[in-house]
Amino acid sequence: MIGNQLALIKREFWEHRSIYVTPLAIASIVTLSVLAMLVFASGFAKELDLAIFGASNLAGEGERKAALTAFFVGTSWLFLVALAILTVFYCLDSLYGERKDKSILFWRSLPITDAETVISKLLTAVVIIPVAAVIGIIATHIANLIITSIWVSMKGGDAGLLIWGSVPLFDNWMAAFIVVLASGVWMSPFIAWFLFVSAWTKRAPLLMAFMPLILIPLLEWIFLRTRFFATAVLDRGDAIPLFRTLDIESFFDEEHWRDGLDGISLLGHLDVVQFLTSPSMWGGLLVCALFITAAVYVRRYRDES
Amino acid sequence: MTSVVNARGVSKHFGTVRAVDDVSFEIEQGKILGLIGPNGAGKTTLLKAVLGLTDCDGELSVLGLDPFRQRKELLKNICFIADVAVLPRWIKVTQLLEFVESVHPNFSRKRAEGFLSQTTVRSDAKVRELSKGMVVQLHLSIIMAIDAKLLVLDEPTLGLDIIFRKEFYSNLLNDYFDEKRTILITTHQVEEIENLLTDIMFINDGKILLDSPMDAIADSYVELTTSGEDAIKARGLGPIAEHEMFGKSVLLFEGVSRENLDGLGELRTPSVADLFVAKVKGARK
Repeated sequence: MIGNQLALIKREFWEHRSIYVTPLAIASIVTLSVLAMLVFASGFAKELDLAIFGASNLAGEGERKAALTAFFVGTSWLFLVALAILTVFYCLDSLYGERKDKSILFWRSLPITDAETVISKLLTAVVIIPVAAVIGIIATHIANLIITSIWVSMKGGDAGLLIWGSVPLFDNWMAAFIVVLASGVWMSPFIAWFLFVSAWTKRAPLLMAFMPLILIPLLEWIFLRTRFFATAVLDRGDAIPLFRTLDIESFFDEEHWRDGLDGISLLGHLDVVQFLTSPSMWGGLLVCALFITAAVYVRRYRDES
Repeated sequence: MTSVVNARGVSKHFGTVRAVDDVSFEIEQGKILGLIGPNGAGKTTLLKAVLGLTDCDGELSVLGLDPFRQRKELLKNICFIADVAVLPRWIKVTQLLEFVESVHPNFSRKRAEGFLSQTTVRSDAKVRELSKGMVVQLHLSIIMAIDAKLLVLDEPTLGLDIIFRKEFYSNLLNDYFDEKRTILITTHQVEEIENLLTDIMFINDGKILLDSPMDAIADSYVELTTSGEDAIKARGLGPIAEHEMFGKSVLLFEGVSRENLDGLGELRTPSVADLFVAKVKGARK
């Protein structure tokens, strides 16, 4: 069972290379942009000296920590957005493509159950793609820290103090890991819905997946004047019960670090217990299980010829 | 003899259409059975039921298992090629071998690589880069490297040229088949396989018209080419079919001994194709 899962997930990597190409591409883009920015900044020698002097002597550890965290959060968001788009297209293709090219007949000639296959696609979307994104985030951070420290040293700054002394690496990476993974779990009802549409639709999976998401709330509003569907489903993206209060700008507020610098911590703002005990998280998992069961059922019972 | 497939009153409906209609048959170990029928006769539906790809009514057991409910267990011991174009186009040959090796307990990668080395299929190629014939060779190399008890081939050589077709069947017979294995095969090109079959089954409109060992065909069926007076005499013996060829009458008899027909014309065992046409036309009357 586990051996089959590993083989099936490996198969997903072969078929959907975008799972690792996308994080790699974003990491390269971010790194190149930072590099370009540094080269551009090098043209302003006088201002630069002043800035490095300021950063070394006037700014405290709090400001440096906040600035680096803000940069990290910014790049992590890029990954999160790309990941979301990637997951939608991955899910919609995963059980549709094999029917379109008829390779489903080959896959089903091997001793693997339909449930194993569908679950491998679910695991890829909920766990593997997020993990690939976290690896991309960490790699981007390391690459940019190295580049920036070399650059700062070349410009006469103390990279050890300015960059490495202030960077809350573990805090940021753990936070990225938790947020990205929790987002996968939180969005699992959507992932399962996309997988179901992918297994079920005869054509145009993208259209079939999004039409109900637009039409149902519209019809509900026209006929009932209520917004239950929109609140429960469409607003789910903003409603993840994971952050206590997270306002990056407040990181730069000195009041915030009066009692030490612990306030400038992403991890400190995450409430994993609240997330794990939230009824809407479990409700989402239930919806996910229903759509996955439906997808397995459709793959198993529908005659493909 | 152990029976590999056992069907008792198997039916499959699609709405009001009976694709397979109360069919009973048995396939014994070590046989090569040809399942012959026109398009829409229910061949593919029957194969799907045997492979556990579709549910059906009646009793059907394959290798002692319920094919639909115990499909995973069953697929460890049966293989099938459903159509030539089903290998995923994006996959590399090496990836395909690796995948099948990791999910199939009875697959020998070494054997598959051995078969592939005799072909022109490059191991670093993607399926989409291969010609149709090469894809079939690849698929067959994989199938033949699986130590399966039952092999099901549904139109395996469709769209291939004659050289590939001949090679396909000779590989199958020489490198794969032995008395422990069983092969179930459907094809339109009956003439090409009739020499390798041990048994034959005709199916039309979801019903079995003929289910017989090949060597019993010569005992039960005889074709007479005749003309004039003799033809009239022969017609009195109740042929199941008749057609004209080069101005002569060709009559097909079932269960009429050769002694009775001796002297009325030229006698020979009918080809599977002729027998098939006669049976299908007979069933329509």
